Amino acid sequence: MKFLMITGRTVNQGVTVENKTSPEYAAETSTCFMHEFDMMELGLDDGDAIRVTGPCGDVVMRVSASVEVEMGTVFVPYGPYANHILSAGTRSTGMPDFKSHMVEIEPTDEAPKLVHELMEDLGGLAYDR
Amino acid sequence: MIVKDAVCPFCGCLCDDIEVEVEGDRVVAVTNACELGTTKFMGEKRLKNPIQRVGDEWKDITYDEAIRYAADMLLSAERPLLYGWSGTHGEAQCVGVHMAELIHGVIDNTSSVCHGPSILAIQEVGHPGCTLGVVKNRADLVIYWGSNPIDAHPRHLSRYTRYAEGFFLDNAFRDRKVIVVDVRKTETANIADEFVQVRPGGDYAILSALRAIVQGKTETIPRTVAGVTREQLIRVANLCKSAKFGAVYFGLGLTMTPGKYKNIRNAIELVSELNRHTKFTISAMRGHYNVYGSNEVNTWMTGYPFGIDFSRGIAFYNPGETTAVDILARKECDAALIVGSDPAAHFPRRCLEHLAEIPIVQLDPYPNATTAFCNVQIPVAVTGIDAEGTAYRMDGVPIRTRRVLWSDYLSDEEVLSRMYALMQEAQQP
Repeated sequence: MKFLMITGRTVNQGVTVENKTSPEYAAETSTCFMHEFDMMELGLDDGDAIRVTGPCGDVVMRVSASVEVEMGTVFVPYGPYANHILSAGTRSTGMPDFKSHMVEIEPTDEAPKLVHELMEDLGGLAYDR
Repeated sequence: MIVKDAVCPFCGCLCDDIEVEVEGDRVVAVTNACELGTTKFMGEKRLKNPIQRVGDEWKDITYDEAIRYAADMLLSAERPLLYGWSGTHGEAQCVGVHMAELIHGVIDNTSSVCHGPSILAIQEVGHPGCTLGVVKNRADLVIYWGSNPIDAHPRHLSRYTRYAEGFFLDNAFRDRKVIVVDVRKTETANIADEFVQVRPGGDYAILSALRAIVQGKTETIPRTVAGVTREQLIRVANLCKSAKFGAVYFGLGLTMTPGKYKNIRNAIELVSELNRHTKFTISAMRGHYNVYGSNEVNTWMTGYPFGIDFSRGIAFYNPGETTAVDILARKECDAALIVGSDPAAHFPRRCLEHLAEIPIVQLDPYPNATTAFCNVQIPVAVTGIDAEGTAYRMDGVPIRTRRVLWSDYLSDEEVLSRMYALMQEAQQP
């Protein structure tokens, strides 16, 4: 199913942001908040893994039911997971389209990667696992 | 030891009423701060010494070696990028600008991916703003547009708006109305008197509709605009016009959505229009505690607030060309110095692919996502905890952050000054 993906701050993202190697930061920034009806449509329960595909690739996240988002829209706390699939185009402003990407979401059996695994996939070397 | 009136170095609110209890070299309790600030003060797991990547291994190095490595890397680069700067104090930012000029590099700060578009709009039409104290004491209407302070600036509501006392308001909680405009029904929307739910991407249309209503052209408004009914728009416009003093606070819900800086321009022009009827102001909800400061320091030193390119020997500014995301995505820079930010966590993937290909030195107290791409990381003292310096609050008020404990870590300013001195020495004829 296609969704509009919006990214933004959450308290838990802010609390864990100074400790990006922690499992708590990984768990928060890999959470995809979705309307319950959309979850029913996709056959998803809270905490199920989903593959989110954007213009620059795909990443595995976990879904969480939310009353805050409308059907057809998902919200992801900003961080390395959402950015893994976003385009870097800025339309000559310096600012990427962090809140207006269309993504494809489907259930998956894979588990989300940790932050350092995402970085190593792109050529980095984790320091503190 | 209890330190009173400490300044919280997390978000742009720079709350200056924090009490911090210190035992030895550790913070053991924090009073008055929100969850975000408390966690920052209590932060642990700092990097103990500079580290260098050698092949697929990390090894410990000395500060002298790390600073020498950084100076050599920047001196030998053809197009170095100096990025970050929002998580450090103004004195360090000054050294950064001098350094960028010396090596003809590009210096950009995190505002290019937060309120950069707001600054572009302000450059077009000005900024009818005011300090937070004025809003606290006078505003009887507050509009949060595309911002969610309960999650991002938790004490904004209690110190300045919804739950704050106001000198010129008899009963501030009753007399002060709060309107939230957002695409999501956020926690902040739940405590608003009026919630305007906009269809994603519809902010520009809503702002234009409100401007038309305030100008008396109500008949031009269709039945709904971007998912909002005509009746609600008229109600909101009337609330604005009948307020004695209104304040708009906008967030990344306007700067990151389609239209970007044109959304902000439209919002500022709505506020200008409202000033024909009453007093109204508009301000940005700045994120990092000193992101405003990096714009200030850059502006007074170079004339431009972010994305400054010294490759021509003079300051040149062209957002979209000289901003960090664009430079990295075009694979243009050949070395990067990162200070007080974490681009690997917050930039799109294509930028990270280039970070993996170039030498990088980072100044940061903690291992973060960018550490994985570093050749060298230098741990520094945290401004507001074990270093002091000037930071600018979201309303442009400079506040001296205090040191609450003493450690052996060097501050950003000390590390950068030593780096700069080596670079000046090398450039002497």
